[in-house]
Amino acid sequence: MVRQQEVFGKKPVRILDKIRESLERLNEKMEIMIELQKTGRKDLQLLPDAPLDVMTLLSMPDHLRKTAMTVCRLGRATAEEVSEQTHRARAVESGYLNQLVIMGHLKKERKGRKAYFFVEKEDHR
Amino acid sequence: MIAVHSYKGGTGKTLLSVNLAVSLLKHGRKVCLLDLDFRAPSLSSILKIDKTEHWLNDYLNGTCKIDKVLIDISDRFNNEGKLLIGLANPATEAIREMSAKDRKWEMRALGRLLSLKNSVLNAMDFDYLIFDTSPGLQYSSINAIVSADLVIVATTFDTSDIKGTNRMLRELYDLFEKKTEIVMNKVLYDVSSKSEREELQSKIKDMYKAPVLGMIPCFCDVSRAGGAFIFAQEKPEHTFSKILNEIATTIEKM
Repeated sequence: MVRQQEVFGKKPVRILDKIRESLERLNEKMEIMIELQKTGRKDLQLLPDAPLDVMTLLSMPDHLRKTAMTVCRLGRATAEEVSEQTHRARAVESGYLNQLVIMGHLKKERKGRKAYFFVEKEDHR
Repeated sequence: MIAVHSYKGGTGKTLLSVNLAVSLLKHGRKVCLLDLDFRAPSLSSILKIDKTEHWLNDYLNGTCKIDKVLIDISDRFNNEGKLLIGLANPATEAIREMSAKDRKWEMRALGRLLSLKNSVLNAMDFDYLIFDTSPGLQYSSINAIVSADLVIVATTFDTSDIKGTNRMLRELYDLFEKKTEIVMNKVLYDVSSKSEREELQSKIKDMYKAPVLGMIPCFCDVSRAGGAFIFAQEKPEHTFSKILNEIATTIEKM
C-alpha cells in the first residue's frame, strides 16, 4: 500500500494513479485465486507446458479464444491493448488473460506498472 | 493475407491460387504466393522450379529468414506487377518430417506465419500474400487460416464436399471469425446466360450461407492442360482467365 508520507503533498493525479495500480494488482491476485479455486488447485504454480496451437484454440470457449488469438496476432500485449482489439472491457480481458496464464497457454511479464502477456518468447523472423 | 483452402482435395486450390496470383500481378500488384501444402507440394512442379537453396520448411523451422525463401519469377511475365513465390520441399523425407511435427512446433509455425504480415506485407511492401494450403483440418492449413484476413474456400458440387465445407464454415472459419468467400469450381453452367448465372449464385449462397466470390465452369481444356501452363498468363482471352480476373477485381475492391 502507498505510505502516507510518500503521497503527502504530491499531486492528486499521482495519488490516484498509485491507488489504481494497487487496485489493479489486488484485482489480479483475486482473479488468480478465483481461477485456482475453479480448477481445484491450491498452489500458484503454473501448468508447465500447454502450447497454444490452433487445435487448442479450436477447443477453447469462444471468449477465451478471442483473447488468445488477439495475443497471437499482437505477439506481446497488455490487457489494455487486447481490449482495444476485442472491444471488451479492460478488466474483462485482464481476467481472461490471467486465466490463460494459469492454464499454461500464455506467459506474463511485469515491466514497471505494466503487465505484458505473450505466447512464447522467441525471435519472430 | 489470403488463404485458399478446401475440405476435399482436387477442388482446384493450387490452380486457383496460381491463376489468382498472376491475375493480381497483371493488375500491377506485388504478390507473394506461398505453398503451404507440405503433404503434397505442387507449386514447384507447376512453376517448373526443381531446386532452391531455401524452402518454406526452413523458414517455419526457424533456420532462415523469409527473404531467403522467396524466388522472384516476375521476369516470366511481361508486366509491371511482381510475383515472388515460396516453395514447400517436395522431397519424400521433407514431407515425412513435416507430418511428424509436434504441437509446440506448430505453435511456433503459427507465430512465424502471423509475423509475415510485418516482414512481407509491411516491410517488403507486398500488396497480397496468398497461401495455397492442403485440404481439410491439417495443422499447416489451420495455421494459414488463422493468419489470413480472407479465406477463399474452393468447393465443388460433390455431395461429400458440400457437407464437409458446410461443417468447416461453421466449425472452423466461423470460430476464428474469418471473412470467408466461396469459389465454386467445376460447375456445369452456361457462362453467357446471365439468368442462369444469377440463379446458380443464389443457390450456392443459400447452400453455404456465405458470399460467393466466383463460379468456375468445368473446362475440358483446363483439365487437359493438367497444370502444364498458367492460363491467366498464356491464355488471357480464355473464359477461365476472365473469371479469375473478375475474382481478382472483386478482391481488389474489398
